[in-house]
Amino acid sequence: MSAVRTIAKVKPFLAVTAVVLGLAATAGPLTAAGFSREVSGSPGVPSSRIGEPTVTDTVLYADDSPDLFAKAGAVRDALGFPAGAARSGRHVKDGLQNAEYDEVADLDSAGQPISLTQFDGRGRLVSAVRFDLPPRLSAKVTSDQASKAAQGVLARSGLMPSSKARVEPNPVAGGWDVHWPRTEAGFPVRGDETSAHVWQDGRIQSVARVEHEVSALPSKRLGQADAKDVVTHQFDAWFTGRGSGYAVQNMDLEWVEPNAAFDAGKIGAAPAPCRLAWVANVTPSGAAAEVIWQITLYVDAGNGTVIGGDVVE
Amino acid sequence: MRRAKALLVSVLLAVSALGATAQGALAYRGDVWSNSDSFTAHCLGFTDTWPKQLYSLNTAQIAALGYSPIGGALGPGFTRSSFLSNVFYDYAVYAHTHGDNYWAASGAPNVDSAILQDPGTGNCSSFSRDAIRSSAIKSATYGTFYNLVIMSTCKLGSSASTMPGAFQIEKTKSSTDRKFYIGYATLTYDSSQFRFESALWSYLNGAPNHQRTLYQAFTYAASIGGYSVPDSANPFQPNWWGNPNYNGTPGWM
Repeated sequence: MSAVRTIAKVKPFLAVTAVVLGLAATAGPLTAAGFSREVSGSPGVPSSRIGEPTVTDTVLYADDSPDLFAKAGAVRDALGFPAGAARSGRHVKDGLQNAEYDEVADLDSAGQPISLTQFDGRGRLVSAVRFDLPPRLSAKVTSDQASKAAQGVLARSGLMPSSKARVEPNPVAGGWDVHWPRTEAGFPVRGDETSAHVWQDGRIQSVARVEHEVSALPSKRLGQADAKDVVTHQFDAWFTGRGSGYAVQNMDLEWVEPNAAFDAGKIGAAPAPCRLAWVANVTPSGAAAEVIWQITLYVDAGNGTVIGGDVVE
Repeated sequence: MRRAKALLVSVLLAVSALGATAQGALAYRGDVWSNSDSFTAHCLGFTDTWPKQLYSLNTAQIAALGYSPIGGALGPGFTRSSFLSNVFYDYAVYAHTHGDNYWAASGAPNVDSAILQDPGTGNCSSFSRDAIRSSAIKSATYGTFYNLVIMSTCKLGSSASTMPGAFQIEKTKSSTDRKFYIGYATLTYDSSQFRFESALWSYLNGAPNHQRTLYQAFTYAASIGGYSVPDSANPFQPNWWGNPNYNGTPGWM
């Protein structure tokens, strides 16, 4: 143990040494040029970092945004979150999540957030979460009790999902995850849902709602056989001669957001409305299976083009 | 005498500059690694763009948290030797690649988790050639400490993972040291990793530096929902170990 501690001290020493060496390297120009020096980005950070999305916010005050703070307080109380010693608000333009929202946080006496609520531009609840650690030694509610608890608070919070709940144990965080998938025109919207995490003692830790814009249904819909032809044609083109095989596991119609998964030219493009697509889950074999467990392909149900997908590495 | 005075002034100026520099820019190195050659048209017939997107996101955000310089590599520079020869100097380590909990050389039931290096331009992945075992990483760290480790792979956030131990991070959620490990417990879509990590950084770095904790950012990101899952046996389950009150500030003290 003492050896570990001794070695552990080496790294801070290296950090300081690096600064000293850096100073030594710049000391000449510093003195000669009267401290003028160019402050550039961190060494080693690629130039691609420039132009990376950022998060900017504007402070919101309770006096100026009374409706927002009142709504946030009502949601906090409905969910059973503790009230803080103070509250803060902000309007956020979130370039990392491609979202814009109003946020109200309850703060403890040290100014640390103990919970927050976020609302979208239409004033609808997007997410609410409490930040205290989950209980570890309390009694455990059943999945049915967790589902009922979540349903009750969602109704009181103005979120009333109409679909059937799917309840999963969460061995990592403890308790249960309850999901209500969103459907539109009878088809699931991939990723869209209302969800809640219920602690093992039955209290709610978080609720969230994800809802994407959906395009009109295609006037003419590709059949499953034709869609499968598109998928096999695509995978034949990709895998032939590369020592890899594949098997199409399943194909279902879903609304999906087109993405840049297989087209670098689309990275950074503005999010587009969801389109109805055949979603094919494909399992690779051979060489590709060394690093990939599943490839998911989105085939536009209207025109049969590949509009994105996903990978499980 | 005049020369001595000039020297003294120079020394004082240098010392004050050192103080200012040291306060604002101690060299707390971070490495961001992303395997991309395994996922190019050469190996798969298509180029998977998620490795590049995750690399760009995490390079920028780990730097924004205060780690500098940011090393590592996207693609062929992510080799086992490069990873192992640099890891000792790191305070933050991020890796996006294929990862899993493999049997140790001593056999089942012992686990020795691993990540795969980038196979290099023109090559495709092979576990026997590309694996970087947690035991090899642990040896290369010489017992030194790490502030932030993110294994953006499948399964290295599961209870079986030996990867946290490679960085001297115990699998506890009540550490009081400045350390935090993030991994995913199950098989996970790249899009879900990107969504989760975007939300994590958005919350952590969306306020003046080090006002929020990594646990708060983790909890926020885990709570926003909307994560696609490959099948019902693999729900989206990110995991963490470390200090729930740690705000990401680089360094030990």
